[in-house]
Amino acid sequence: MLDDMDTALDMGDELDGELSFYDDDPLNATGVSRKSLVIFFLIDTSGSMKGTKMGELNTVMEELIPEIRRVGEADTDVKIAVLTFSNSVMWMYSEPISIEDFEWIRLRADGVTSMGAAFKELSIRMSRNSFLNSPSLSFAPVMFLMTDGYPSDDYKTGLASLKKNSWYKYGLKTALGIGKEANDDMLAEFTGTKDTVVHAYSGGQLAHLIKIIAVTSSQIGSKSMTLSDDTQHELGMQDVFESKQKLLGEQIQEIIKSEGYGDVPFDSGW
Amino acid sequence: MYSGFYHSVIGASHTAKGTVCQDFSDFKVYENYALAAVADGHGSKKHFRSDVGARMAVAATVQTVASYYADAPAFEESFERDPKRLIRKIEKQIISRWDRAILRHLQENPFTALERAPFSEEEFEDIRTESIYGTTLIAVVYGRKFTFGIQIGDGSMVVIDQDAQAEMPIIDDESCPANLTASMSNSNAIDLFNSFYTMEAPLAVFVSTDGLYTSFRSSEDFLDYHTIIASHLGQLGEFDKVITRNLVKRTNFGTQDDISMAGAFDPQFLAQHLQILRTQVEKNKRRAEMRKAEQAARIQKQKLKNQLRRNPNLQVE
Repeated sequence: MLDDMDTALDMGDELDGELSFYDDDPLNATGVSRKSLVIFFLIDTSGSMKGTKMGELNTVMEELIPEIRRVGEADTDVKIAVLTFSNSVMWMYSEPISIEDFEWIRLRADGVTSMGAAFKELSIRMSRNSFLNSPSLSFAPVMFLMTDGYPSDDYKTGLASLKKNSWYKYGLKTALGIGKEANDDMLAEFTGTKDTVVHAYSGGQLAHLIKIIAVTSSQIGSKSMTLSDDTQHELGMQDVFESKQKLLGEQIQEIIKSEGYGDVPFDSGW
Repeated sequence: MYSGFYHSVIGASHTAKGTVCQDFSDFKVYENYALAAVADGHGSKKHFRSDVGARMAVAATVQTVASYYADAPAFEESFERDPKRLIRKIEKQIISRWDRAILRHLQENPFTALERAPFSEEEFEDIRTESIYGTTLIAVVYGRKFTFGIQIGDGSMVVIDQDAQAEMPIIDDESCPANLTASMSNSNAIDLFNSFYTMEAPLAVFVSTDGLYTSFRSSEDFLDYHTIIASHLGQLGEFDKVITRNLVKRTNFGTQDDISMAGAFDPQFLAQHLQILRTQVEKNKRRAEMRKAEQAARIQKQKLKNQLRRNPNLQVE
């Protein structure tokens, strides 16, 4: 039996992010899981998003999935969870779905902007007893908020409850304001820094920015926890979380500068 | 009377960087009890002697428990009367022994220029000595009258009871997802310890560092893994190698972290329950297949529902 063990690695098979080994090692009955990362998309589906905004968003999200899939190809199992908020809050799927299985469901816009309720719901689900129950979850989650307006409910209470959540504290947070009504200061309250808040004023920008932010944050989010500094020692986890958020801010700002988004007039686009 | 094992494998990421294994594990067997322990040194920049700290945490545990069992009947009687108080005393003594051990180590091995180099003078002064040696610790004592375990920091403890049911008696601290604070080096370490005890002899007990748990997709799979190991402990000599190789696979394909695992059991008692264990392993296999199928069906159902939402005229067979 033991002689066959060495061949096991060559016979590995990948299934839904889990590696199984076809040899007679009884312990292979429980497969090895790759490191996993959950990306939370919080999407405003209120009435003001109707038309071009929602159309663009749906299209780009459909296109985005294969791109995120590539991020996870190396050694990370990326999972997606989509929370929409309008009159109420709703998850696209009842659990985070591996990017391999994920299919985007086109969203419709209607109602008001219950962002506070979305923050509360996210806080409840970002738990070891709920959406983050996978042992292989090795990375703090990525949270990406997209909205075109100001919350119509008490977002501060929702955000306060979210801020108590440890996963939120150490997760990567980014936000995209859509159109001129979106308030960047309020979005920065969610992300904790203005560097990871961007603004789209046209359909083209929206599509481009969603892709950039989602892919960049997935890449940074799935960087190993054991990032080394120049001392060859691993950075502490807190240092890693802070470094990642900082790196995300720098990369987003760099892309925006290099692509000239800062020069777009405030009231152009939509 | 007792038996057990321990293994520490270096993480794939550490091998790649040429850094040392930060884990340490040990198993000791005595007349009245067996002890299995693992420790996971924090390994980051300011914890540059955490591999030593891990080794010392395990040694402090071995010594402390031995000191209590020096008068086994008296200890067993006290424990049976008030287990929580005794466990607390043991935890306190482990911390105290560990503190003394690291100070002694520091006296004998002053910080080198190489160790100081990554820090400014001010930064270096700000690091507490304990933190430099920071580590987690998980240990379990399998005694003739009771079994107990202690844990500080992340990692897992698994108990297989007489019905072959696997259980993690100490649950993850939700408030601290990355276990940033739970460490032997914390000034309030005594308050960060968790413990468990049982007066009913388990079939086997295991402890492991977090690198093992994080290589699983679900906690059910993780528990099933331990049941499988328990069912093979009768042939430990051969199976020991299987465990090591599996741990190496898990670090290579999982989180790439160091992995340590140790276990203790009573071979005779285990042999009496072998059939129950084997039956449970088969049941677990079927349940695992069921879980997989249920999850696939759930996703499929949602996809169909979503298709219908998009196109209400769609005919679904």
